[in-house]
Amino acid sequence: MGAFEYRQAEEIRDVFRKNGVRYLFIGKSGAILLGFPDTTQDADLFVERSPENCQALVTGLRELDFELTEDQASEILRGKDFVQLKNGPFDLDLVFAPDGIERFDDAWQRHIEVEGFPVCHLEDIIASKEATNRQKDRESLPRLKSFLAYWQQLGGPGTSD
Amino acid sequence: MPAKTHPDGRSAEPVIPDDWLAEFESAAQRPLKTRFRYAFIKTYKPVLDDAPFRAFDTMESYRHWCEENLPDWLGYGRV
Repeated sequence: MGAFEYRQAEEIRDVFRKNGVRYLFIGKSGAILLGFPDTTQDADLFVERSPENCQALVTGLRELDFELTEDQASEILRGKDFVQLKNGPFDLDLVFAPDGIERFDDAWQRHIEVEGFPVCHLEDIIASKEATNRQKDRESLPRLKSFLAYWQQLGGPGTSD
Repeated sequence: MPAKTHPDGRSAEPVIPDDWLAEFESAAQRPLKTRFRYAFIKTYKPVLDDAPFRAFDTMESYRHWCEENLPDWLGYGRV
């Protein structure tokens, strides 16, 4: 399996839109969509945890050719906090309760659309990484905060000044 | 690299390091499709990449699993 590609992100966007999945790109993959120049291996999605949305998610994942067994689909439907998928055309992390963000609706109200991709606000991405406080997050935070400053100077979407 | 502070040390206003600013400005000129190609890489991550599916009831249980099972150098341990 190779690196996550733009066309695969487009497939997520298009299939999830068709199925009505409520989700946001989060983590470094979200920051990259907002213009942050860095490298990452993972595509991380913050998914709304509701029965209807999780059902739509499972349907969408199968359309994207993720090979979900019935047991695996049930785990997603039962509402786990975190699901790691490496059984499809690309790796995908599904986060239902990211550290540092209280509710999906809060993040949704602040979210930004980039070429049709729904993305968490950069401040939420940073808040989540700060709350997680892993070594790899600690290393990326200074650069992310500098990018936030740059983004705000440009009057990036969702910035107040 | 940490963000610089103003020389007088008074202001909390972040100053963007020059090399990072140059990278941000260059990236802003690239289309999203190109930024994707530069950003996403794939290397094997031991243990993490060895199962097709994992699900965790809570983020805490996921973080704990990472700390117990992944090599430290992957950086998934909490500080």
